[in-house]
Amino acid sequence: MAGKEIRLDAHRIVDEPFYLAQGDEVRIAEISYRCGMPLLLKGPTGCGKTRFMQYLAWKLGRPLITVSCHDDLSTSDLVGRYLIRAGEAVWMDGPLTLAVRAGAICYLDEVVEARKDTTVVIHPLADDRRELPIEKRGELLRAPPEFMLAVSYNPGYQSVLKDLKPSTRQRFVALSFDYPAPDQEAEIVQREADIAPELARQLVRLAGMTRSLGDSGLAEGASTRLLIQAGKLVARGIPVRAACQVAITQALSDDPELLAAIDEMVSSLF
Amino acid sequence: MELDNLKERFFALVAPDLPNDWEVEEALEGLTGAAPDLVETVLAQVPVIWPVSNSLCYNYLGQAVGALSCFPPAELGTWVNETLDRYEKGGLQAAQRFMVHVEEEFVCRLRGIAGLRFDEVQGRLLPYVRGLAGRDLDLAAAATACTDGETIYLPREISLARGEADNFLLYKLTASFQWAFLELGSFAPASPLLPAAPDTELAWLPLARFFDSLAHPGLAADIYLQLESIRARAFLARELPGLMREALPLLPACPAWPAAGDRAGRLVSELQCYCLSGDIRDASLAAAHGRRLRHLVEPGTDAARSLELCRDLHAQWCRDAGDYHSPQPLFFQGTFRLDLVLAARNRRRRSLEQRFVDTLATVLVQTPAPGKGTGGDREQAAGEAPAPDVALVLDSGGKRHRDAEQTAFLRINNEQVALDEELEALAREVTDEFGFLPPRFISSAAGRAGRAAAIGAPGGPAGGGEVQAPVVYDEWDHRRNGFRKNWCIMTEKEIPVTRSTFIAATLARYRGQIVRLRNQFEMMRTTERFLRRQRDGDDIDLDALVESLADSRAGLPPSDRLFVRLARDGRDIAALFLVDMSNSTQGWVGTAIKEALVLICEAMEKVGDRYGIYGFSGMRRLRCETFHIKHLDEPYGDGVRQRIGSIAPQEYTRMAPAIRHMTARFAEVDARIRLLVILSDGKPEDYDDYKGEYAIEDTRHALLEARSAGIHPFCITIDHHAHEYMAHMYGAANSIFLDDVRKLPARMPEIYRVLTS
Ligand SMILES: Nc1ncnc2c1ncn2[C@@H]1O[C@H](COP(=O)(O)OP(=O)(O)O)[C@@H](O)[C@H]1O
Ligand SMILES: [Mg+2]
Repeated sequence: MAGKEIRLDAHRIVDEPFYLAQGDEVRIAEISYRCGMPLLLKGPTGCGKTRFMQYLAWKLGRPLITVSCHDDLSTSDLVGRYLIRAGEAVWMDGPLTLAVRAGAICYLDEVVEARKDTTVVIHPLADDRRELPIEKRGELLRAPPEFMLAVSYNPGYQSVLKDLKPSTRQRFVALSFDYPAPDQEAEIVQREADIAPELARQLVRLAGMTRSLGDSGLAEGASTRLLIQAGKLVARGIPVRAACQVAITQALSDDPELLAAIDEMVSSLF
Repeated sequence: MELDNLKERFFALVAPDLPNDWEVEEALEGLTGAAPDLVETVLAQVPVIWPVSNSLCYNYLGQAVGALSCFPPAELGTWVNETLDRYEKGGLQAAQRFMVHVEEEFVCRLRGIAGLRFDEVQGRLLPYVRGLAGRDLDLAAAATACTDGETIYLPREISLARGEADNFLLYKLTASFQWAFLELGSFAPASPLLPAAPDTELAWLPLARFFDSLAHPGLAADIYLQLESIRARAFLARELPGLMREALPLLPACPAWPAAGDRAGRLVSELQCYCLSGDIRDASLAAAHGRRLRHLVEPGTDAARSLELCRDLHAQWCRDAGDYHSPQPLFFQGTFRLDLVLAARNRRRRSLEQRFVDTLATVLVQTPAPGKGTGGDREQAAGEAPAPDVALVLDSGGKRHRDAEQTAFLRINNEQVALDEELEALAREVTDEFGFLPPRFISSAAGRAGRAAAIGAPGGPAGGGEVQAPVVYDEWDHRRNGFRKNWCIMTEKEIPVTRSTFIAATLARYRGQIVRLRNQFEMMRTTERFLRRQRDGDDIDLDALVESLADSRAGLPPSDRLFVRLARDGRDIAALFLVDMSNSTQGWVGTAIKEALVLICEAMEKVGDRYGIYGFSGMRRLRCETFHIKHLDEPYGDGVRQRIGSIAPQEYTRMAPAIRHMTARFAEVDARIRLLVILSDGKPEDYDDYKGEYAIEDTRHALLEARSAGIHPFCITIDHHAHEYMAHMYGAANSIFLDDVRKLPARMPEIYRVLTS
């Protein structure tokens, strides 16, 4: 079982992650944890959902096991499977099972990307039964109080094929995330990218401009993550306009007019 | 620079020649008041000209400052070279003529080389400006830059700089300047100097009224424009440092100077100079007002300061304003068109009033009147129900403390009723615009509600008799939370076909785009997916095999799903497009919808999804109509194309029965994904009382019915502004809003692609 300890230790968060609270989300999450209720984090990409989970895991002192969902993710990928080792069949826990056994936090990122038949395995875990059936082993795992399930998704405009079923969604305490307010966002960008406050403020201004282009055809504006990436490039010597071009403008759109307009914003601001 | 200094510099430049003293003095006269760096720019050319001709050089010194008001200093060298060319070919007179007619001889040609027209920059500047403003400003062309708060007008052409890139930069600067005026509140300073306007005053703007009250309104307005431009330039330098860094070298070195003796004109030009260079050159102006002028460029000043300074400068100079002529505005600063600002404000106020009164009246009609209260003692005209006694209470401190709970409610006949979201948002918009809630708005809504109540509930009188259709639909009445049974009669009709070149023209116009779309959509069709864990297939699923071996070693029954199969067509999508053919789509909207349909058809043919197209319109509940354009499995041929080309605006927008009709059509369709795409231009509404909340709720309910029948509805709305109700009616994630109808043809296939992949 030493192997399992090592696998788990890698998921422990030792140092306090930097997280700037947006409201009372930390308190609500802590209380949900104590009540054994799962969390649903909604919000645009790159606005701090993952960082929030890292902070929460650190605060609660639990390991955090993150699974990025995709459309090839199968139930076995989550729950576990038999492998053959030295001619013998060995059961190998999947990340979800591992988290339940160890009382960790399991975070399914972008859960709508997973196929619907996969998402149903979390149902019995996500209501007050809090149990995980492992059919292949004929085992029914009961989650300890320390275990927590969290999922995230981006409710923005997207394919009709990818929407969270009501039967799934109605099990969670839902926290809605959005990009932080300008001052806070500037503080985050400044800290994370290690850049001057003025540059961080200008980057946030740029983001604000791109975020108001929804009606001009830009589905999502620049995320906090993109700002940090641009900032990091600048901090390491890339000229600011070039950094914005590669880290923000090109990442946002392929439409020539929108690209040109965002470029103009960049060259006005910097 | 003093004349003596100038002379000294000049003699140094032409040494060892020793020109005649008084000739030099006369030539340098025009430079005495000019800024030092401007003088340097001018003098720098002296060594080039002097050796060619002394007289030409004297002439040049007289003309150079004027010329520099027409083009940026960087062009001076080119201008001088051309002057010398003329001199060599045509002698002194030819060269003089060239120098005097700067605009026709020189700037004009620069323009010919590199002028940039508004329509070439509009596409790029519009999102830029909207990004800056964070709201839907529009752009339009005009002779001079200006703004009314809703549209920014830009010159039809800009050609002051040499290359396209630089001229674009000047366009951007001009647009940014107008944005700065809006951002800085130049048109509505919060100043005690302004007369207070009655709440609903439409005839005048306080700022314009203030100027009119002064001795020389034109001068005052010009001074104010200059002071606000100074503020705007400083603001832009702080907000958009990149822009200002790049654009400043392209600006003219100085403004055009007024005629001698126009002292007030001289003041305005000095202020323009300050705006251009950031320096106050005129010593007496600097001494008298330097502190206040410099204060304008600091962060945190407001338009009230400019107005105060404007009043004082005007008072000092208006006595000298006998010969005053407004100097040419700096092109990037444009002008203040308070008449346009007033017109735009009035448009906004009228539409706000109308929306507010409509909404409140609808709420009142639908709110069951509580106890009659004081209403009873009023005399009402015969046949009218008494108008309810209404007050709308909105907390005033709410804006300060965002978190504080906001109190807002309606009081009808002394009883409190909670405000619905739309009405509350509108009420706040009204108080933001007018400063408070004009009582007239409430009384006219109450009056209208009283009359409506007397006539009867919405739903309207049953009119029209030509009923022949077999299909009948219920209508949702949210007030009673139930259906009105068999309320609407739906006829499916054929479109009268008209001949036109529409299809051919559209296919030609969008040829490139259609090719690209067809490629894109073809790729969607051929998304090949590996289906894992199949009973049979093209290849062995190694993961599954290993797992099953392991399972069997562990004593479990091994799975027989061990193959991978390549699935070529996993799509099985049926889509219906429902397009608004109401009267309001007349014009651009209708054309764009038709073009979008042509494009989507061309694309759909490649992806191979099944699709149908129907139009809808009608008048009153007994004559709802859908128009057949293409049935689901009908091939896309000439007939379909002709019908698309013949789509023409009909009557009203009762959208819900059409949606129910589509849901009914879908019931016969077997497909994994059933998608209903609705294209419309705004609010559902019919000739009778089918409008407002009633119509929105019915439409919303029809969409919910569709959804619960397993259909994915998606709505594309074309309108100038997004409205609160849209997200509510359609569901935020199931709708998109386009403010620019020209974008529709390109966006629609794109939306379909995103929705289904
Ligand atoms: N509130 C916040 N406090 C600290 N950092 C933040 C915050 N919000 C966003 N970030 C930064 O933004 C980056 C992207 O956020 P992330 O959590 O990865 O986004 P998401 O999971 O929502 O896509 C993080 O790595 C972090 O640097
Ligand atoms: Mg209409």
